[in-house]
Amino acid sequence: MLTIILILFTSLFFTGIILRTKSIASGRKGPGIFQPVKDVIRLFRKGAIYSETTSIIFRIAPVIYFSTVVMACLVIPFGSEKGVVSFDGDFIFFAYVLALGKFFSIISAMDTGSSFEGMGASREALYSMFAEPAFFILIGSFALFTGNTSFHAIFSSLHLGSSITYTLGGLAAFVLIMIAMIENSRMPVDDPKTHLELTMIHEVMILDNSGFDLGLILTAGFIKFAMYGAIIADFFIGSLALSLALPLFLLIQFTYAVLVGIVESFMARFRMSHNPQFILALSSVSFLIFLGVLLVLEKFV
Amino acid sequence: MTNVLLIIFIISLLYVTIGNRIITYVRVLALQGVLLFGVTFLQLHEIQTWNLVLILLETVVFKAVAVPMFLSYLIRRNKITRETEPYLPHFISLIIVTIIVVITVLLANSIKDTYLDKIFFIVSLSTLFTGLYFIATRKKIITHVMGYLMIENGVFVLSLAVGNEMPNLVNLGIMLDVFASVLILGIFLNKIGDVFKDVDVDQLTNLKDY
Amino acid sequence: MTLIYLISAFVIAGLIFLNRNTVLNYILVVLFGILQTGFAVYACFNYKNTFLQYFSFDSLGLLLLLTLSVVSIAALIHSYLYIKRHDETPQSRAIYFAAIVTLLTSISAAYLANHIAVIWIFTELTTLSASMLIYHHRNKLSLEGTWKYVFICAISITFVFIGILFLSLSLQHAGSTDLSFANLMAHKDQLNPFWLKLAFLFIFTGFTAKLGLVPMYTAGIDAKDKAPAPAGALLSSVLMNMGFVAIFRLYVIISHTSIFHWANLIIFIAAFLSIFVATVYMTKVINIKRMFAYSSIEHMGIVMLGLAAGGIGCYAAVLHIILHTFVKSSIFFQYNQVYRTFQSKSLTHVGNYFKYNPTGAIVLLIGFISATAMPPSGLFVSEFLIFKSLFDANYIILLILVLILLTIVIYAFGKNIFKILFLPVADIDESNIPKINPWESLSQYILLSAAIWLGLNPPAVFVQLIQDAVNFLPK
Repeated sequence: MLTIILILFTSLFFTGIILRTKSIASGRKGPGIFQPVKDVIRLFRKGAIYSETTSIIFRIAPVIYFSTVVMACLVIPFGSEKGVVSFDGDFIFFAYVLALGKFFSIISAMDTGSSFEGMGASREALYSMFAEPAFFILIGSFALFTGNTSFHAIFSSLHLGSSITYTLGGLAAFVLIMIAMIENSRMPVDDPKTHLELTMIHEVMILDNSGFDLGLILTAGFIKFAMYGAIIADFFIGSLALSLALPLFLLIQFTYAVLVGIVESFMARFRMSHNPQFILALSSVSFLIFLGVLLVLEKFV
Repeated sequence: MTNVLLIIFIISLLYVTIGNRIITYVRVLALQGVLLFGVTFLQLHEIQTWNLVLILLETVVFKAVAVPMFLSYLIRRNKITRETEPYLPHFISLIIVTIIVVITVLLANSIKDTYLDKIFFIVSLSTLFTGLYFIATRKKIITHVMGYLMIENGVFVLSLAVGNEMPNLVNLGIMLDVFASVLILGIFLNKIGDVFKDVDVDQLTNLKDY
Repeated sequence: MTLIYLISAFVIAGLIFLNRNTVLNYILVVLFGILQTGFAVYACFNYKNTFLQYFSFDSLGLLLLLTLSVVSIAALIHSYLYIKRHDETPQSRAIYFAAIVTLLTSISAAYLANHIAVIWIFTELTTLSASMLIYHHRNKLSLEGTWKYVFICAISITFVFIGILFLSLSLQHAGSTDLSFANLMAHKDQLNPFWLKLAFLFIFTGFTAKLGLVPMYTAGIDAKDKAPAPAGALLSSVLMNMGFVAIFRLYVIISHTSIFHWANLIIFIAAFLSIFVATVYMTKVINIKRMFAYSSIEHMGIVMLGLAAGGIGCYAAVLHIILHTFVKSSIFFQYNQVYRTFQSKSLTHVGNYFKYNPTGAIVLLIGFISATAMPPSGLFVSEFLIFKSLFDANYIILLILVLILLTIVIYAFGKNIFKILFLPVADIDESNIPKINPWESLSQYILLSAAIWLGLNPPAVFVQLIQDAVNFLPK
């Protein structure tokens, strides 16, 4: 229960902090921290316009996307507290519920009949396909390391001791952050501020949505961000007590947002043809983490 | 700690696979030299000091400093263009190199030997085959030379695995390094740069069975 | 004496390299010839001794050293004639002779070494000196040949080094650290078979660059093509013997362990593929020197087949190597005269050699008969024994395939040689053809008749030495 409240709470601030960081890095003052929330509230008050070439898929996709994101939030633990739902293998549930949402947004993008949206949809599908083995191998290695298979159990029993486990932990944190950036369509894989359809990946999929639907999609985006931030934070606060975990959680979310803002300010997006190999490199690094876990566990000498 | 350095070594292999520019290769070779220096320092503590100092100097001075500097000099002097010009796209190279690491891990798993630290075996064989793969799939001659230097790094890792009992083998390996590198790099690449305009393997196909 | 030999040889090489005076260079070369012969004689008298801990005069080393000394005298004479005729600059002449001296010394030392790391060091030295020889003409094509040779040999040497590391790993189980062959033999039952397999695989692959088998034979082809003919003779005879010695010494140890059959299988595959490759290329090659180079590869394939077959094949393999040295080097020495007559390396421009140089043409004819192992050549005896050993060991299918391939080789080789010797070339300018002194073919006649004599009526000492060499292999 606590996790959901915290995630919803931080999602209010997350995108705002990113925007603010980017503005300050460019020398501007920037909008207020709640500006994205205000934008979404304004969108909720508007009506949606549906194109005549779309079908029912286009109308239900935003709702499904939003609900899958909320469902995925349910399994995230917080510190030593379970999520609302926790069972063995729930990280697979997590990954595939998000995939369901992504699937619906992809087919709704293709439903519009616009070639730009189809192009963005295919790219999005490609990147998710390559990021999936990275995520599974990573969480799988942790499951192997701790001997448990649910998010809560994994994170609460994660103990980092020797130098090699610290290295693996560092690598894993890097891979997790990168996966989070990819899933949220951020730099260096996707530029959210580009206005050229040829270079958009996620933005182009939601070009035709408007009004309430757009508000839902944007809210789902905020929650997704905060959710991945929560997973990354869980990585560090897995076994701490509540009083220590809470401020640490907020601190990590804040640092994550600032980090995303800094990366977006100072890096250009990778060349489009380099994106797949970058994401695949993450899978290879995850495989190395798996190798390291095997080494630590002495499954082979 | 040795394991950490060796895992970073494999990551450097993956990084080289997706690198676009030749300068990336040179920098990764320098990084590998520094990593080897660390591994040598941690691993070889049973051999006498004078020998150890020599080996340490060789790794850090030769592999990490001298050879990369000489390579950048060659690149500038022969006006070699920045691209690495592979025959296969980087994406497929990445998959192949990952498969190489996987196969090496599986191979190492089937060995039942307690005298050898498996991680050395894995790292050295992966580097060896990645170096061979580089030589086979790159067009430029200078990338061939860098593939060869990578093979030598892999051989050095393997010689560290047996280095404590037989330090002479490590010395032999260093001699191989210095000798072959000076021979290949120093003499012939200069000559090739002078004689051939484009330092490209396509130019080296005139010796045929015609 | 070994130490004196090594040091003085390197000193002579260094002096030749630094010195530009013609007369002094030639005196130093003659000095080296005397030194080499003296060392060979000394080795005869010190049979079965070990010097400097790393060099032992065993039978195989002794035999090959004697062949090396004989061929080296001819090589030095022909090098002198070659250099004199080509009017070289003093610098390139100095480099050429220094390289030949270093090459001969390193090969002699590698024959006699009884520690695998010492063989490895001298093999590296041969790479260096051979590459200097290949680059003698300093044009674009020879640069390409040199680069390929250096690169592939460097990779092969690295492979051999990895093999040495695996060998030391397999020796660790026996608790010993000395990598000399005698020590390996003493601990042969305690060597870890897995590491030994890997060691054999890597060392074998590495030395195929010198020996001229699949997979690393490609370096040698371009090398023999581009090197000046006397140096090419050395590269295709005594250098290949060095590869054979290295593999043979390891093979002797492996033959007493449990991986013997696996090692034989590897050698069979490599040898058969080499003969196959040589056959394919010989039917389509146009450059004469490359044809001779591929013929060397085919012979090495036959030799390794005999070695792996066992029994009488091992004796025949060593005999074949020695006879092949004489035959192939004499063919290469003769080639220089062919080139001088026609100014071209290609088969399309060479023909009717009998008319212009009968003495030399007869050398080529006898060389062809010897190289394709027809009687009365000594190679006929050794090849026949190798086929007999294959038959005895029940490798019938392999034998039939090899015989078919060899028939194709004889066809291709014969077609080309008869074209060179008898078929006149259209529109050839006869006024430019130089008159070649028949006495220059004398050395080749001596070498070829030595090959015939040793094959058909070998002296008892010779037979005894070869039998000693293969004594340790299982019957």
